[in-house]
Amino acid sequence: MNEKTVAVLKQAFKEFYFKNAEKIITPIRMKEREFGYMSFDKVMVRHLSFQTEGDLRAFLIKEMPHSVYYSCAYYYEPTFAMDEKGWKGADLIFDIDADDIPTRCKEEHDHWICKDCNFMDKGKRPDKCPKCEGMRIDEKNWVCPLCLKATKDEAIKLMDFLLKDFGITKENIEVYFSGGRGYHVTVERSALEELDQLARSEISDYVSGIGLNLESLGISKRASYEKMQRMLPLANDSGWRGRIAKFFSEMEFECYNSNDVKDKMIYIYRKMKHKNFENFVGEVIGKLSTKIDAMVTTDIHRIFRLPNTLHGSTGMLKRRCDDLLSFDPFIDAVALGEEPMQIFVDHSPKFTLMGKIFGPYKSERVKLPLMAAVYLIGKGLAEVD
Amino acid sequence: MGIEFGLEDLAKYPFMKEAGDYVKKLSLRVEDLGQEDYRPAVERAKQRVMEAIQKNYISIEISEPIVELLSFPLALMLVKAMNVEYIIHRYSLAEAIRAESLLKEEKKSIISYIFKSTFNLEPISVKHELFDLKIKLIEYLKRATHFHEPEWKLINRVVDNGFVYLKTHELVRLIREEIRRTIYDRMKGVSLPSMPKNLKEAVHEISRVLPPRSDKFQRVTPDKFPPCIIYTLDLIKKGQNLSHYGRFLLTTYLLSIGKSVDDIIDIYPRSPDFNERMTRYQVEHIAGMRGGRRRYKVPSCRTLATHGLCFKDKILCAKIRSPFQFGKKPLFKKKSTGQIRE
Ligand code: SF4
Ligand SMILES: [Zn+2]
Ligand SMILES: [Zn+2]
Repeated sequence: MNEKTVAVLKQAFKEFYFKNAEKIITPIRMKEREFGYMSFDKVMVRHLSFQTEGDLRAFLIKEMPHSVYYSCAYYYEPTFAMDEKGWKGADLIFDIDADDIPTRCKEEHDHWICKDCNFMDKGKRPDKCPKCEGMRIDEKNWVCPLCLKATKDEAIKLMDFLLKDFGITKENIEVYFSGGRGYHVTVERSALEELDQLARSEISDYVSGIGLNLESLGISKRASYEKMQRMLPLANDSGWRGRIAKFFSEMEFECYNSNDVKDKMIYIYRKMKHKNFENFVGEVIGKLSTKIDAMVTTDIHRIFRLPNTLHGSTGMLKRRCDDLLSFDPFIDAVALGEEPMQIFVDHSPKFTLMGKIFGPYKSERVKLPLMAAVYLIGKGLAEVD
Repeated sequence: MGIEFGLEDLAKYPFMKEAGDYVKKLSLRVEDLGQEDYRPAVERAKQRVMEAIQKNYISIEISEPIVELLSFPLALMLVKAMNVEYIIHRYSLAEAIRAESLLKEEKKSIISYIFKSTFNLEPISVKHELFDLKIKLIEYLKRATHFHEPEWKLINRVVDNGFVYLKTHELVRLIREEIRRTIYDRMKGVSLPSMPKNLKEAVHEISRVLPPRSDKFQRVTPDKFPPCIIYTLDLIKKGQNLSHYGRFLLTTYLLSIGKSVDDIIDIYPRSPDFNERMTRYQVEHIAGMRGGRRRYKVPSCRTLATHGLCFKDKILCAKIRSPFQFGKKPLFKKKSTGQIRE
């Protein structure tokens, strides 16, 4: 990014924080959390703490950071070195990222560029450039409404686990659009905050459908029909057993047509034979589970973007979704204004912000509203020249 | 909770605070323990310890509840007097297993009472075809993560509205480690008065049944091993039964320092329940050679502590989190993650 571009971005962020400082929501138990930020020169500063909302706001206006973060963890001494902070607990956080969800649109809108010969192509990056065999390849991952819809669907599935299985009350769950490529689902004020990494990985495996064995459904090679009838779940049972039974009750299988879901499962099991059935259940689990980033959920020290602050590579907000179903990131999380700005766009697919359509562009100089200009600059697709 | 909890129950579960209080109220004096009146209790105490050492098991004998009840603190004194760390462990584990087998058969109301009063855990009875009780998700997770069998994985449990459903025996199994720990801590807390002659003799008698040290065990050189590993090797050396988790620790540890599967299997024949095929299977499984599973890592010191396998050396174990790090300089200063999530 050239200096001029950086200066423009800084200015845009500064104005935003100046005008919107009151909208920064401070996290609960702020004093117990670690804060950090990244400046536009990409310097990371950590181990900060803020005592009041006012301190935090003043800081944002003064530093106009590229990104601001806060810890999911609560500490006795948030400003001390990591080993000495004294961990008290941490919010349980799930991260759903478009990168982890394969969608077909990616083939269309993701690009890569060879840094050696500038060769560029669509789709996933290859290991080496087909033209010059260079290995230095730059990914230009785009994110479109379809990608974000897919991440939202995962968040919705996750909510079901949190509410029904884990019994977490709705008031203690916040869902945020991350400002970039997905959603953060945060559980606060819950006894689960004291869980260690091991326990969190159990939670993560649970919602991701990892490690479920057929015995827990009541299926085993040696079991008689009667035994399976007794052990198998019903469609309205709770937890994974119920989810899977429900799937079976709704699926079509040959011309099987009784409503007895247990009988149906046994029928299918015997038809498919153990191994195939196991694989099939694996696929079912794949559909019913949620694609979260397990590393995030199990990391009890991680820092996350602060809600209502700008995402440095989109200029959009990390924003709470009061109504997840109707939340539209490309409207609800747009933060910057419409002041016109001239930039040079290397390339860009078509995109929509605030209902306005932009692009596609290819090596051209265009005048765009600030929100769109920053969006492209942040993604490394455009510069001010 | 309005439930009848009689002397017999206290005799069954002498590690409970209520049992301790009962004995305290009798205000016995150590000097009196030499008297003939207490002979049955002393005998029974001796039996408790002997059984624990020899069979890893303590029989259940509640025909005379007061004898049974008294024999428990006496047994603690005997074990404490022997002052051998691994006997202390073995004894507390055997007591925990005894309690477990009693609890498995127990009425739900009694279980709930004991768990509430001793472990601050409140199981709730449920009417369910497959389960007897439920506990809070967090209470489950705190304990179940120490087990490695797939059936303890949360995903293989019925989880509903913040509760995990369990059969009675599963709940008891889940809590066994805490029973062991409770007993272990009680023992650590016992102060040893000068004992009357009959108790001293009992200690002597017990010492005689301790297995002799064998020196043929030289394949691995123990001086660089962390205390937890030395302990497990020690048990095997003495021909004693090593818990499932103890084996898991030893195997993962030896693999991590580069021992071959065959070398490791060679170590095990000394266990009383030796069965080469089974051992091979387990070792290969842990080494990741079976079932396409990953290779298991050495458990953390914290986990080992909860299994009663940690014998932390204040200096040598000071900065480590896993036995694997024992004797090695930490490679990175900070292990903590704390990365950023965009
Ligand atoms: S601190 Fe770790 S290495 Fe040391 S004895 Fe305990 S478990 Fe073993
Ligand atoms: Zn190239
Ligand atoms: Zn897309």
